[in-house]
Amino acid sequence: MDRHIEEWQQQLVKCVRCGTCRAVCPVFKITDNENTTARGKVKLIEAVTDGKLELTREMQKRLDKCLLCEACSVGCPAGVKTDELFMSARRALADNNGISYIKKIIYTGMTYRSLFNLALRLGSVFQSLLFRDAPDKKGRFSRIPLPAAGLNKRRLFPALAKMPLASLVPKVNKVSNPRARVAFFPGCMMNYVYTDSGRAVIDILLANDVEVVIPDNLYCCGIMVAASGDYGTARHLAERNVAALSSDNYDAIITGCASCGATLKHKYGLVIDDPAVRQKWEKISEKVFDFTQYLTAKGYSREFADTGVKITYHDPCHLVRGMKVSKEPRAVLKSIPGVELAEMKDANKCCGCGGTFSATHYDISRAINEEKIDNVEKTGAEVLLTGCSGCRMHLSDGLSRRGSKMTVMHTAEFIAKAYAAKKEQGRLNQ
Amino acid sequence: MTKEIVARLKKIVGKEYVMDKLEDRICYSFDATFRDSCPDVVVKPANTEEIVKVLQLAHQHGIPVTAMGAATGNSGGAVPLGKGICLGLTRLNRILKIDVENRMAIVEPGVITDDFANAVLRTGLLFYPPDPASSKISTIGGNIVECAGGPRGVKYGITRDYVLGLEVVLSDGRVVEVGNQVDGDMCGPDWTMLFVGSEGTLGIVTKMFLRLAERPEAKQTILAVYDRLDDAANTVSTIIKSGTIPTTLEIMDNQTIRVVEDYLKAGLPVEADAVLLIEVDGSKVEVERQKEHVINVCRKCGASDVQVAVTNEDIDRLWLARRSISPACGKVSPTKFAEDTTVPRSKVPEMLRKAREIADKHGIKMLLFGHAGDGNLHPNIMTDRHNHAEMEKVELAVKDLFRAALELGGTLSGEHGIGYMKAPFLKWELGEVGFEAGQKVKAALDPAHLLNPGKMFTA
Repeated sequence: MDRHIEEWQQQLVKCVRCGTCRAVCPVFKITDNENTTARGKVKLIEAVTDGKLELTREMQKRLDKCLLCEACSVGCPAGVKTDELFMSARRALADNNGISYIKKIIYTGMTYRSLFNLALRLGSVFQSLLFRDAPDKKGRFSRIPLPAAGLNKRRLFPALAKMPLASLVPKVNKVSNPRARVAFFPGCMMNYVYTDSGRAVIDILLANDVEVVIPDNLYCCGIMVAASGDYGTARHLAERNVAALSSDNYDAIITGCASCGATLKHKYGLVIDDPAVRQKWEKISEKVFDFTQYLTAKGYSREFADTGVKITYHDPCHLVRGMKVSKEPRAVLKSIPGVELAEMKDANKCCGCGGTFSATHYDISRAINEEKIDNVEKTGAEVLLTGCSGCRMHLSDGLSRRGSKMTVMHTAEFIAKAYAAKKEQGRLNQ
Repeated sequence: MTKEIVARLKKIVGKEYVMDKLEDRICYSFDATFRDSCPDVVVKPANTEEIVKVLQLAHQHGIPVTAMGAATGNSGGAVPLGKGICLGLTRLNRILKIDVENRMAIVEPGVITDDFANAVLRTGLLFYPPDPASSKISTIGGNIVECAGGPRGVKYGITRDYVLGLEVVLSDGRVVEVGNQVDGDMCGPDWTMLFVGSEGTLGIVTKMFLRLAERPEAKQTILAVYDRLDDAANTVSTIIKSGTIPTTLEIMDNQTIRVVEDYLKAGLPVEADAVLLIEVDGSKVEVERQKEHVINVCRKCGASDVQVAVTNEDIDRLWLARRSISPACGKVSPTKFAEDTTVPRSKVPEMLRKAREIADKHGIKMLLFGHAGDGNLHPNIMTDRHNHAEMEKVELAVKDLFRAALELGGTLSGEHGIGYMKAPFLKWELGEVGFEAGQKVKAALDPAHLLNPGKMFTA
């Protein structure tokens, strides 16, 4: 633990306990408990450094009650990097007490029907992610090394029926006159669950004359294991991904998943120790773009069909705060003819998912989501778009619980459809 | 704290609203000041009835009780120095009534200041003037027991001026209603004022009857730039002397301007020795007249530049600069002493000069800004609480500041309250007789000294 103390103190000393975090923390808004605010958690970590508190399981529970949505970090007047501090504290707590995340997911999940449905979906992801006999026939996307002991014995959920994206599309997706050659990092959700959105990202890039390669030997980006404090596994994943993405000189590395993007671009800086790997990662980090960021930076084709649809857009935490991307998706969406973008209130506020948080703290997660869904519905939009599969899953869950007819889609799918429809029109006209 | 007491508290407010684990008590051991003290138990009642029962129990067993709202105070009023029970009041968060006809509202103490202010604005006709910098997070209850102010204080006064009456639970659990809901009516001494600014040392405020003001039709925001701090300070008293009371009259010295500009990059005049941020409000005609008058006075007093914010963006930009002082300070050094030394308006130039001398004398970093219009200055001392040598110098400087303010006929606190931070100096301001009278009032209402020990008269 001692190695953390100095690093923590640099952040702890900055906190002036002004309480601004009370105004921005989605979890605090639901719990009304100081033990969920950033300054409360900062105080707990300070108590550890002062020798007034041990790294207890009770402390771990309180540090776990956080979405890592970064609202407090961005909103902190004193510039305390709360998200990094809390991740580091989780790491020390995990080293001390171990992790029971996955178990909690399973156990908690069974007590809630709707959560159980969610957990089944999550569970199937985990299965594909975690187990050696995952339906990864080509072995292009390797499986995550087991992050928690005992996990391999728990095959409680049915296997995911879909084929992984990596098995559905070629490794190299060529175009006739390529403007650029990029690597696409689909991430677990797009590879195992929402393969359509992964394909949409590829189609969008192809429509813009960009050659898309899905490199061999990509792993889970590791955000979930890092967030739960298992830095050892996270480092292992980071090192492998850095190796895979450094194996060729790509013009850019494109992500369609907010969390993977923010992790590749920034969070690896927290987990990578080896200076040689770090050097390689720094080069990669510069090249990581969310696909909408890449489109707006490099210019993109306006060959869109007229859609005539009212949409609204939810900012994923890891896009708006993690990657500082919020204007870009809106700009691309608004450039599609007939699109009316109706902004919801607090579009950049967390949807409540927070990765495993939605499984371990479903009640809070749902309550946060209810407010988000209220804001979504008030826009009167027909389609809800977002750039993160986790948000998408949680938003779909919230809408379906209300019997809403609204369609939820990844931004990429909507854009890809607008390109495809135009192409189809052209073909029919010929 | 015995297990039996904890069990009884759980019975009163419900299990989930009683926290006695160390990890939770630590989270309720502080406010925006730098001293901590863990309560033995955190109790979060839902209503007056539960508070009555908690106080009865505490009274019966001699357990100290410290009330806490959002714990954003700058003088340490909510820090549970006496340990015992930390009484969290945020569950009492209902706006019970906004009465447009009688221009009053009934509110529970846990309501967030801005939530209430926005609810009043939605009436279209009225507004709630007190605007402490922490209004997004602070509670109305906290504002009342610390007597919070804000930029609008120049024209509209501070929280005290908007309290018509209160429901208070006394230390033995009995309930008293002081003041009343009728504007201006009074029977006997003004009991209400006794509880305003009392920091929960005399009773627990559980309901507030608040006065509302008429919403002005128009406003104008003006920025005046000065080469000399003195000229800016003189402008303050000259404007008011000559018959115009601005809504706000904020001053920022050169160091403050630089710190904010570093933080915000808003194009502030970093070479200026001081700026004044002035707002006037009223009817459209009246605002025009006031604006011209203010511009004239600023120029006559030596302003090198006077800008009138035309667009809403300009206005927002100027106010953002003012609101960003605290955040910007956070980036300069880890610990700040946010003082709220207040002097008569006419003494603002002298107080500012003295404050600079004090900073120089002790060799410490001090930013000077504040609500100059009502003499409420914020000398903010920037330091690091882990640097013991510097903290000693800071403490001496703080004493000098208090002494200077009192010598000028001012006060220790314009809006932050006394808490534990200013309690040792309270006698300087009140005198022996005043302090003793205060102790007697405290003893009459809380004979067992259970309410918020270590503050005010019991420090």
